[in-house]
Amino acid sequence: MALIIILSKLILYIGRFLKLGSGSTWPGEIALSLDKDFLKKTFQKNKLKTILIAGTNGKTTTASLIKFFLEKKGLKVIHNREGANLLNGAASTIIKYSDFNGRLRYDVAIFEVDENTLPLIVKEFAPTAVVLNNLFRDQLDRYGEVNTIALKWQKALKNLKNTKFFINADDPLLYYISRSFSGKVSYFGLDRDLMIGKEISHDVDSIYCPSCGKKLRYTKIAFSHLGEFRCPGCSIQSPKNLFSLKNIQTNLQGKYNLYNINASCLLVEELFSLPEIFIKKNLLDFLPVFGRQEKLVYRNRKITLLLGKNPAGFNQAIDVVLNQSKKVSLLLVLNDRVPDGRDVSWIWDVDFEKVTNLPIFVSGDRCYDMALRLKYCLDRPNQNYFSTFENLNVSINQLIDTTENEEIFILATYSAMLEVRRILLGRRLL
Amino acid sequence: MDLRIAWLYPDLMSTYGDRGNIIVLERRLVWRRIKSVIKKISINSSSEELEGVDLIFMGGAQDRQQEIVNRDLQKDKGKIIKKLINQEVPGLFICGAYQFMGKYYRAADGTIIPGLGLFDIETVSPGLKAKRLIGNIIVEPSFQFSVFSFQIVGFENHGGRTYLGKNVKPFATVVKGYGNNGEDKTEGVVYKNAIGTYLHGPILPKNPELADWLIGKALERKYRKRVSLGKLNDQLEEKAREFVINKL
Repeated sequence: MALIIILSKLILYIGRFLKLGSGSTWPGEIALSLDKDFLKKTFQKNKLKTILIAGTNGKTTTASLIKFFLEKKGLKVIHNREGANLLNGAASTIIKYSDFNGRLRYDVAIFEVDENTLPLIVKEFAPTAVVLNNLFRDQLDRYGEVNTIALKWQKALKNLKNTKFFINADDPLLYYISRSFSGKVSYFGLDRDLMIGKEISHDVDSIYCPSCGKKLRYTKIAFSHLGEFRCPGCSIQSPKNLFSLKNIQTNLQGKYNLYNINASCLLVEELFSLPEIFIKKNLLDFLPVFGRQEKLVYRNRKITLLLGKNPAGFNQAIDVVLNQSKKVSLLLVLNDRVPDGRDVSWIWDVDFEKVTNLPIFVSGDRCYDMALRLKYCLDRPNQNYFSTFENLNVSINQLIDTTENEEIFILATYSAMLEVRRILLGRRLL
Repeated sequence: MDLRIAWLYPDLMSTYGDRGNIIVLERRLVWRRIKSVIKKISINSSSEELEGVDLIFMGGAQDRQQEIVNRDLQKDKGKIIKKLINQEVPGLFICGAYQFMGKYYRAADGTIIPGLGLFDIETVSPGLKAKRLIGNIIVEPSFQFSVFSFQIVGFENHGGRTYLGKNVKPFATVVKGYGNNGEDKTEGVVYKNAIGTYLHGPILPKNPELADWLIGKALERKYRKRVSLGKLNDQLEEKAREFVINKL
């Protein structure tokens, strides 16, 4: 076991030296191929708390928030690198942080896992805790359908009797599956006073009761299918004992981030006994992470990056853009590489109509699809209203050259975000 | 002139961006100053609301939603839809909707789920181990659409394999991709003025000629005269389509 770690670490260092990428997945790939029980054995050998974060949107922010609070308390935490949310990513993280004796001298390991990996990773070890954030349509060509994922999760998680679960109870599908879990379940949601929506918008998935199939009634809606719900046909309804912080003060914008904050706060309170006062005091020091409202300066202009990979995420990002008090100009970057999802049909489920009064630039591999989507928001077919550039570098610089004082927001899909950051920060980062 | 468009089960059958098709139809009408009314028909709608519509659209969905819709369709709404299509009302049925309009769907365990029987097609599940037919797709539209000098592009994502019966023709021939079943190079089906297809994308934004064909047919049928639609600038659509074609 230690041998595998040493070997993999050596390969990792050689790889870094030869600049063969970031080593965030392939050292783990090697370790797992040498010993398929690598993950299992790691957690038999090392006694640290393990936290899995799963869900369509918000994993990175939630994981980063938890790590942030725990480190403030003096705990040593590891967290898997950006995008490495498959089994090989978890394994690579372990290799990176293990010493040469194969020991992980840390208190907590946090793994963000993608929708398909969650059922696989819990076969290797029973985690201390699992956070389920939400389930939105995302990359249907890769993940399949939301209902299928939920059922797979239910099957994989329900018998983990020693695991603590932190579930977004405003998501009817997640609430429903958690009812069959044998482990302890705690619920978080959004402060009801902040839920102003009443009508279900278009980017919605689970509005039918997951138990009996009747259409759910919502008394309040946060966004998409998240809200306070009740089934008129059976007993499924929002639980009363639901954690949500009041008067949250944070640098993170958007209702979706309030969910991430509630999830992380509930977990650190219950699992690590961090008091609410400690959380609230430190929350203002937490800054947005990679591509998630990350603020960068480039050519003296302030640029905010917003990652979006599915209708729910993009619609939420648009709301953030619309809530700015200053004037905004927008760059939309759409790619269709593997991490973005190869099918770009989902952009038609995003309400771009709301941003057509802003100066807009478009780029990315599928810039013309995005431009088409915008064209069809207009009352007249004026396709010169927004500027489309195949070259991302050109689009960013043109945007800066042709707008004056506006704050710049860049909404991009995953691989596009990597490229945007590379350009803005001037070097290869991942 | 105006058109009434029925959008079937928008709350349930809208998983893959298919509302983009409705957006395109509606906008292309607005840009030509033709009024349109989009009637959203769902489970709670009475079937009477379907009477007198000029164009029918239904998108795709996840299995669970499809079950719920199927049950509703087997009541009155299905009968009216069949009547309208047989009366030459144009229609566009995507993926799950396309399958529904067929004779039946045979699930992996052999269960037969009856469809509306409007199209002479049957769909078979190849079993849970078989791969899904997923990817960008290019097709050559069939003769009756030969007004198009372009190929049609889209994105398919389906497990079911559809086979056409003798009484219907395919919508198109596969140039790149899988199509109905990955075997016979057919894609979709045409029956009177109704099209069934597996193409997401959505299909209409990058293939505006098809949108105009549907609109033209609907207007001609309603007003009983030849209608020539004002030409729109479709350069952007062509660029977007070209990009996908070059990719493949």
